[in-house]
Amino acid sequence: MAAVPAGRRSGPAAGARFFCTAGRGLEPFLIREVQPRQAGTWVEYISGKVFFTTCSDLNMLKKLKSAERLFLLIKKQLPFNVSLSKGKIFNEMQRLTNDDPESWLNAISIWKNLLELDAKKVKLSQKNANPLKRKVGENDIIAKKLKTAQMQEIQESKECQMEKQIEEETPEQGSFTTKRDKSQELQNDVAEAVDTHNQNDLTFRVSCRCSGAIAKTFTAQEVGRVIGIALMKQFGWKADLRNPNLEIFIHLSDIYSVVGIPVFRVPLASRAYIKTAGLRSTIAWAMASLAEIKAGAVVLDPMCGLGTILLEAAKEWPDVYYVGADVSDSQLLGACDNLKAAGLKDKIELLKVSVIELPLPPESVDVIISDIPFGKKFKLGKDIKHIIQEMERVLRVGGTIVLLLSKDHHRRLKGCEESSVPLNSKGSRTDKPGSTECLNPEEKAAVPEPASSSFAASNQECLDRMPPFGSLVPVECYRVSLGKTDALIYKYKKSHSPGQ
Amino acid sequence: MKLLTHNLLSSHVRGVGPRGFPLRLQATEVRISPVEFNPDFVARMIPKVEWAALLEAADTVPKEPIQGYEHDERFLRKMHHVLLEVDVLEGTLQCPESGRLFPISRGIPNMLLSDEETET
Repeated sequence: MAAVPAGRRSGPAAGARFFCTAGRGLEPFLIREVQPRQAGTWVEYISGKVFFTTCSDLNMLKKLKSAERLFLLIKKQLPFNVSLSKGKIFNEMQRLTNDDPESWLNAISIWKNLLELDAKKVKLSQKNANPLKRKVGENDIIAKKLKTAQMQEIQESKECQMEKQIEEETPEQGSFTTKRDKSQELQNDVAEAVDTHNQNDLTFRVSCRCSGAIAKTFTAQEVGRVIGIALMKQFGWKADLRNPNLEIFIHLSDIYSVVGIPVFRVPLASRAYIKTAGLRSTIAWAMASLAEIKAGAVVLDPMCGLGTILLEAAKEWPDVYYVGADVSDSQLLGACDNLKAAGLKDKIELLKVSVIELPLPPESVDVIISDIPFGKKFKLGKDIKHIIQEMERVLRVGGTIVLLLSKDHHRRLKGCEESSVPLNSKGSRTDKPGSTECLNPEEKAAVPEPASSSFAASNQECLDRMPPFGSLVPVECYRVSLGKTDALIYKYKKSHSPGQ
Repeated sequence: MKLLTHNLLSSHVRGVGPRGFPLRLQATEVRISPVEFNPDFVARMIPKVEWAALLEAADTVPKEPIQGYEHDERFLRKMHHVLLEVDVLEGTLQCPESGRLFPISRGIPNMLLSDEETET
């Protein structure tokens, strides 16, 4: 289906179609982010991608925090019929480009317009800013006219040499990871897009991903080549693998065939304001979004590491008192660096303290958010129960705790070493002995599932099997992918003082 | 370390309990750094402040929050300055009961206890 063409300079009037990739488990968060903005326009979640229509400009879309990457949709259709001969399927692939060239050209022109419009806005807001600039590494006066968070991001990313370390990718991601400055990227994007007034001069690159049955017959390279050649024939574009104007992203799976244009070269998940990420920024933000952070709250991360969670929270909910704690000097140093680079040194305080002995009075904290370390690198000498007990002590009644737990932590908290309880929901696998996994139900064929039901099923199970911890009552649970492993986000609320 | 943070911290040396508050602050290096004034935020922090502890730490503080402080900009600005703009970079925090000293270095207080000192 064609993307709707852009009308005037003021933005796509009727709304353009986009999709975002998201890490497994983060889709409910992304849907929540996208829905209010669109107020009734189409939002659809299918297997790791959230499709939506919006009239918003890039300003709003850049702020999506739980997405990996943002794409303009060119085509979304049923999967290729793998029972056909290879030659026939190649023909089908060519039809992706040949059947409806208008949709391609429309999408490209929308993309250019969006980028140009956005670049103009960025330039405009830069001119309006107070000439007093923020220097990295010093606590100078913050320019009073820095109105939007975005403005601050652009300023800081221009002034400090940011080298973002991009986390290991989720399988959904394409292959573009660059370490360049985000705002510089935007300028580059616009320059690239604008350069090609004459669409015949466009250079392009196809990035293809195949999964499911079609991956058994075709390699990604083969598909990329077929489509690439078809595009060259159809539009006269030239292929450039190193530095193309335009990137085309194709994903062929058992569920759909999707073609899109990545709106930015740098993934949304790679934040301009985070110098060195610890935890994946998308997961950090998702955790913060569950924590019910209100203005004037006291928010603690007692195992803050490099401070990723606090950075994400402070960017979104600024009028809050944030405290981060860690036992490691090197982590605290890194966190300090991160705070400075993000311009959040005034919002987040750091302490060198141990999570099992917090020098805080009982019931003095409103919100606790923490990624409890796990894995071979961390020797958690302290029992997880002691850790949560201490968190419980300092949390006020009615307060919220959001934790990221590994499966090991999860097992220990549930109090069972082994469990061979078969999952009882429809379509789920039974447990193997010794494992307590609750997996997302396997994807069913072609029919797109309504967003809520598939998560509700397995996440609800995780929730039901987790007992309260003292006065902490689990209220929500989300299983999320960290790349190589999975983890669980648990949200607790403190219902009463212990001993009552 | 801001004075708002000092106000929140208590001593957790073994056996000390509530007498471990407030920690006596000795600052050897202080930096005043301007922070954007947000009256709403300051007004929300005021009820959380342990006033006696704040008076000990800073001498330019009014003896108690005045009536109707939420709308008194002058008062709020004063409190904003004291709580958020005074940054202790180097110094010590002392437990009033046990005398134990906790160093502050590069603005970060180190309150890790040794194994003998911990309660468990």
